[in-house]
Amino acid sequence: MSADLHTRANQLNAQERVEGISEAEREWLGAHMQECMLCADLARQTDQALRWMRTTAIPFPSGLASRTQFRVRLRAQELREREPKRRALWLACGVSWIFGVASAPYVWNVFQWFGQRAGLPKLVWELGFGLWWTIPAFFAAAVLLMESSRKGEQADWISQGS
Amino acid sequence: MPGPTLFFSTLMSDEARSIARGVEKRDPDLLDRLIERYQYRLFRYLVYVTGNKDRAEDFFQETWIRVLERGHQYDGKSKFEAWLFAIARHLVIDWQRSKKPQSLDTLTDPHQEHPLQLANENDPSPLHQILSQEQEENVQASLEKIPAIYREVLVLRFQEELQIEEMVGVLGIPLSTVKSRLYRGLEALRGALQRGPA
Repeated sequence: MSADLHTRANQLNAQERVEGISEAEREWLGAHMQECMLCADLARQTDQALRWMRTTAIPFPSGLASRTQFRVRLRAQELREREPKRRALWLACGVSWIFGVASAPYVWNVFQWFGQRAGLPKLVWELGFGLWWTIPAFFAAAVLLMESSRKGEQADWISQGS
Repeated sequence: MPGPTLFFSTLMSDEARSIARGVEKRDPDLLDRLIERYQYRLFRYLVYVTGNKDRAEDFFQETWIRVLERGHQYDGKSKFEAWLFAIARHLVIDWQRSKKPQSLDTLTDPHQEHPLQLANENDPSPLHQILSQEQEENVQASLEKIPAIYREVLVLRFQEELQIEEMVGVLGIPLSTVKSRLYRGLEALRGALQRGPA
């Protein structure tokens, strides 16, 4: 029997498990298996190995599920507690933005008056006005960064001990 | 007759949608039930991909924390377990990246010897220690010889019985790559079985 036939049988065996094969191919494979003990044995062993994978039991550590449930509940509580704070932060940002837009002409006048009084170049007090507007955004970004760095520290347990 | 198939697929998608609603709301009772329901499968998968029982325990807990935090990302259109395994897999990969930043390529290149790093093959691996209680030493030894990236697809397909399309979601690779890894995995398994236990 030529090596090509065994190779084809092996390919069809694999294909049957991955994508399926046609009826004609199945018939050819069946006929080959009846003639070739080597291929039949290999197919049987592969079947056995895959079946073993399905049925094998890896001992589950006692208490792992309850420990995980406890941690998940704790984290859920933490997230619930943090949610109103986060909402308050966004609300404060929104309100300050609206207030900023509404008061922009007055603030502009104040900066202009102060700039002229102090003898500053126009560009400087205009820049000052621009920076004044970014303060709420900076504040929000700082809070979010602080939160994420705290979260990063909490997740460090995974990389520790490696 | 499409009756039973349609019935079960509707039932499954209804269940997936209700899980999606629950995890989005961070329902603690639902999460408790899910942890219990998927504990063995998730742990088994993690043992196979990490090759280390203690590490698998850590990742097991961290996976469920991620499920809680990222629950809103699960849309219920795919099986919950596929999403769960994808989270677990990403955690393992992230950890390996942080551990070995110089070997990023090995995580994605299937031709590297151990893309998902396992213990030294010459030592009795933790995976071996865990599985050695089983009778089928020969099969076990053969499975251990397969590179982790191929063993992983075999585990997902033949142990967790995921569809190839679901595996695409878990592994984040194209369908053709999933298939080629499955073929290579089966070929590696066949080769290992032929050679027999070392």
